[in-house]
Parts: sequence; structure tokens; C-alpha cells
Amino acid sequence: MAVAVTNTMKKNHELAKILAAASCALVGGLSTAHAEESWDVDSAFLLYSESDGRVSAAEPVISATRNYDSETSLNFKLVADTLTGASPNGATPSDQVQTFTSPSGNGSYSAAAGEQPLDDTFRDTRVALSSNWAAPINRDWAYGVGGYVSKEHDYQSLGVSSSLSRYLNQKNTTLTLGLGASSDTINPEGGVPTGLFQVPEDASSSEFTQRNDSESKSIMDAVFGITQVVNRNTIMQFNYSINTSSGYLTDPYKILSVIDDDSTGNNYGGNYTVNNRNVYLYEKRPDSRLKQSLYWQTKHQFENNDILDVSYRYMFDDWGVTSHTVDAKYRFRFNNQYLEPQLRWYTQSKADFYSRYLDSSAYTEVDFASADYRLGDLDTYTIGLRYGYQFADETEFYTRFSLYHQESSGDDGYGKLTSQELYPGLDAAMLMVGYKF
Amino acid sequence: MVIKTRLITAAALCCGLLFSVAASASRLIPIEEAKNTPHASLPLPQYQGGTLSLQSVNDQVLLVDFWASWCGPCRESFPWMSDIQAKYKTQGLKVIAINLDQDKNQALNFLKKYPPGFTVLFDNKAAMPDRFGVIGMPTSYLVDREGRIRAVHTGFHQDQLGNYEQLITQLLAENKD
Amino acid sequence: MSKRFVLLSLVGVVITTTGCSEMGVKAWERETLAQQEMSLINEPVESSLNDHVYFSKEASSGGQGFGGGGCGCN
Repeated sequence: MAVAVTNTMKKNHELAKILAAASCALVGGLSTAHAEESWDVDSAFLLYSESDGRVSAAEPVISATRNYDSETSLNFKLVADTLTGASPNGATPSDQVQTFTSPSGNGSYSAAAGEQPLDDTFRDTRVALSSNWAAPINRDWAYGVGGYVSKEHDYQSLGVSSSLSRYLNQKNTTLTLGLGASSDTINPEGGVPTGLFQVPEDASSSEFTQRNDSESKSIMDAVFGITQVVNRNTIMQFNYSINTSSGYLTDPYKILSVIDDDSTGNNYGGNYTVNNRNVYLYEKRPDSRLKQSLYWQTKHQFENNDILDVSYRYMFDDWGVTSHTVDAKYRFRFNNQYLEPQLRWYTQSKADFYSRYLDSSAYTEVDFASADYRLGDLDTYTIGLRYGYQFADETEFYTRFSLYHQESSGDDGYGKLTSQELYPGLDAAMLMVGYKF
Repeated sequence: MVIKTRLITAAALCCGLLFSVAASASRLIPIEEAKNTPHASLPLPQYQGGTLSLQSVNDQVLLVDFWASWCGPCRESFPWMSDIQAKYKTQGLKVIAINLDQDKNQALNFLKKYPPGFTVLFDNKAAMPDRFGVIGMPTSYLVDREGRIRAVHTGFHQDQLGNYEQLITQLLAENKD
Repeated sequence: MSKRFVLLSLVGVVITTTGCSEMGVKAWERETLAQQEMSLINEPVESSLNDHVYFSKEASSGGQGFGGGGCGCN
């Protein structure tokens, strides 16, 4: 009994010590000055451009890290990006000119016969700020806490994260548990459309007038990881992560075409019309999603100092999507320069409710549907090259050029639809230039 | 919701299972429990020239520090070790920093950049640290005038320097003639 | 499916950690691992820019790691 009491007291005492250490690190760590303290800044600019005049983006980022000692750091990161261009709205191309109501309901845009319907009202600016604090608790433990906020004209996100690491086996093994939560608000242009409801002609429709201004979603994730030092030149990591989203997970700007499946009529495979108007529906996704992933990464340095970095991720979710990602980088290192070729391959299988179009005989019976190609069968490839030059004062200039290619696939439809290109590919080029000081 | 609750429970469980806290030594190891310095007779090449074994300087209190040029906290500890050597030299303290770089040239480059105010020995084949039980970099050992290890310190932490200096003065004051 | 998977991962973790105690290096053998280039996410800015692109173009995101290893100095 006495022993038990002493143990409890000891535990409480130890816990108090940890808490004290943690708070001291937070408060005291910020003020005590020491020799090794410095700000490390990494600033970069990304230009992203899709072929055929689709989306282009400019994204400046600045990340500043204050190092209090070799294990204690505070990081701030500011990212801005501006997107312009056109994005597929989900409708199929047609042998007729198609006219679409703009998201706000106050205008329209059209797609010529045989052309991919693109919403060119797509335009956005995002600003995101994040911060992270990492520090040791003692020789065996370390923790991290972070926060995140981002804003665009129709989307806000607020998140927190924390992690706890335990070192084992003379720091050759690290176990980490990370937890994160975020709360997002979506306030689409024109309000939140009713899922699977026919897109009205304009904002005067009752569908528009009864809309909510905003919706929300919340995300929680947890990751459990093991990092293992294999030998003097090799390190490996294995993670399992779980991520749940709930709330409004639909893309309010995406629609689906309803295709006439009456094989006896002369509009077989054409746009289904009611009162002489093509029928398009707003997409609708389930209000929850559970994603799980396994991730493995290995980094190895060769005798000549070159570094190979390979990773693989397997992801699956309860929407029926499974994906594989393989990423490989090889850094050739010269005295004060390096050249790094990069390759990435990604493949995913479609979500259960993904549908390139809906059949006129059945469209009223579906519960969920989306024609967003990002939820369809998809293969993507990235090939890139990064170059860096390190100056004598330990600053570094770097640049990276990469090409991104997407290939979609799926069912080709029937009748008139078969002559349309339902799964166009996408090519994008990215150029990044950065400076570390 | 069920998933959320499960997540939280799992997280709490993991934390609970993982938590165990290491104590940090802040007092001298009593003489009767102290172990003798291993490899005391092994001569190592000295940065300042010649060779030196720990045995040969047994009449002094030693601060034996294992370090490497690539280790950030080791670099941080250099000014402090220089200071402490200067401060307690007359009372009989000798700071001996044993370099464990695999490539001695890297250590030599480092020493040009950060000149040491104390004795530096090279053990580039790492003959000593295993039996000393070095588990982190830097690790330092306080050795009394009889050649016994009386304190072990892993890492270099600004907030523990006061305590460490106190141990040094205690040891210097012990059975002084 | 999910429950079995979690159980399997747990077993995997236990096996890995037991196996892991055989691997590794001594504290003074971390020269290479201490290099910034050898940290698992050695270019966080590039990684975050890439993640953002892939996040907006593909159905999967996240899952990647965090620190560990490195100098592990003290």
C-alpha cells in the first residue's frame, strides 16, 4: 500500500516535471539567448501551368525556423497562391453547343460542340499561415505542437496538430504518435447548391433562393510511425495513418451530365433534355470519409555521398478509392552543388459513386454521384530535376523543373457519347526557384 | 463519432503505454559505487602533440568528454569546456575531449575553426566509447583523483551547466591534500 | 476488414520493434545520419508545394512522415 502510494506520488511528480519542462521550454525557450540560435529561412516561388489554357498558379512561400538548440525549434510558414484559368466542371462534351449556369447564377458560359466543358470563372487567391514548435521533454521523449490557418474567398480552414515521440534503442528507433484536427468552412459563390438537384437556369430559381450560405467539415487524423536507423548510411520509416472527414465533402462547383439512354430514340447517348433544357445535376458526395494509409520511406547514402530516397504509400478509403504512390529521388552530390532527378508514379481506382455521367432512366434513383475526374480511375506521372548550389556562407540557391501528366480512364458511354473524348489527359509544368539563408 | 472516440481512446492508451521517464543524475556517484575508468592505460594521440593516457594524469580531476565534429551540441560545448578548464586549472581540473570522428581530417578542420582551450585526444577507431558506455554525443565523465568515474553527463544542455559545475567543484574539494 | 487490418498492423509494429533492436548504430557512428540531407523530409518547402499540387489533383493525400533518426546526439 505504502509502495503504491509512493509510486503514484512519484508518477505525479514525474508528470509535473514533464509539464514543467514543457512549459519552461515554451516560455523560457523563447527568451533565453544562446550561441547556436539562428533563423533559417527557406523562400521559394512556384509557377504551375497546365496545358490547353487550363489552370495556372503562382505560389510564393516563405518558411522561417528559429533553432534554439539542435533539438528545439520554432517554425513559421507563410504561403500564398493565386489560381487563374479554367477547370473541368464535370459535364461531358457533346455534339451540340452546351450552355452552363455560372456558379453564382448571375451569368453563363458555354462549351462548343466536342469541347471539354470548362468553368472559366475559376479564380482564387489563398493565404495560409502555419506554425510549429518542436522540443525535447528529456532524453527519451520529444513533442511537437502546431497550428494552421488558411483563407480563400470561399474557403477557410483552421487546424491544430501535436506529436509525441519516444526514442528507444539508443535513439536508433523512434516511435511517434501524431494527432491533428481541423475545422473548415465552405461558403461557395452563389451559396451551397442542393446535391443531385438540376442546375437551374439562373439565380432567380427557388433552388438558389433557398440555399445556405455556408457549410462546414471537420477532419481528424492520427498517424503512428516508426523510424529506424538501419546502419550508418540508411534510415527507414514506416507509418500507419488514419484520417476521418465529416460534414460537407462535396465540390459545390461540380456538376454531372444526364445522358439520354433511350436506345430506341434518335438522341441515344446525347444530353437528356427536359423542357428543351439539358439536364445537369449538382454533384453529391457522402458526408463522411475514412481514409487509411501505409507509408514506407527509406533513405540511403552511398559511399560516393550520393543519396537515394524512395517511398511508397498505399491508401484506401471507405469511398472505394485505393491508391499506390511510388516516389524516388536520387541526389548526385558534388562539392557545393547537387543535381537530383525525381520520379513519381501514382495510380488510383475510382470511388464507388464516381460516374462520368448519369443515365436518364436512373438519375433520380442515385444517392451520391460525382463526375470529378479526381475521383475516377487515374494514373499520374511526375518527372523532375532539382539543382542546388551552396555558397560559401552556407546559403543555397535551388531550382526545380518538373512535368506532371495525368491519364484518366473509365466507361466510354453509348450512342452519340462514344464519339466524345470523356477522359482527356492533363499535362502541367512546374518551375520552382528558391533561396535558403 | 464512434471513430473519433476510438481514435482518442487509442491515442490515450498509446501515450499511457509509452510513458516512462528517465531520471537525470545530479549528485556525485558515491565512492563505493563508482567504477574505475576503462582503458586508462591506453595512450591516444594528442592534438597538441605526443600521446596521453588517462592513467598518466590520474592525480587530477578529469572531465573526459567524447565528441565528434558533426555533432551540434558538441560544438556548443566547446566554449564552455574552454572556460571551465581556465577557471579550475589551478585547482587541478583537466578537461580531456576525446574525438570520435571516423575521419580524423574532419576533426582537424573543426579544431582549426574552433580552437580548443583544453586537451584533445583522437580515438578515431572508437576503441574507448563502448566500454565507457557512451550512449549520446557528447557524453562526458567526471573522474576523481583516484581514477573513478563519479558522474556521467549525456548531451549538452545550457540549463544543466550550473549543476555540472557544482559537481566539478565538489570533486575538486574532495580529499584535497 | 478495418479491425483485422489494425490488428495486423499492431502485430507488425511489435515484430518490427523487436527486430529493430538488432539494427542501428552507436552514438558515435551517426556522422552520415547527422547530415541535414539525410533527414527524412530534407526539403520541407518543396514537399509542401508538391503535396499541395497533388492534393488538388488526386484523391489521396497525407500519410507521409515526420522526423526521427538524424544526429540523435544526446
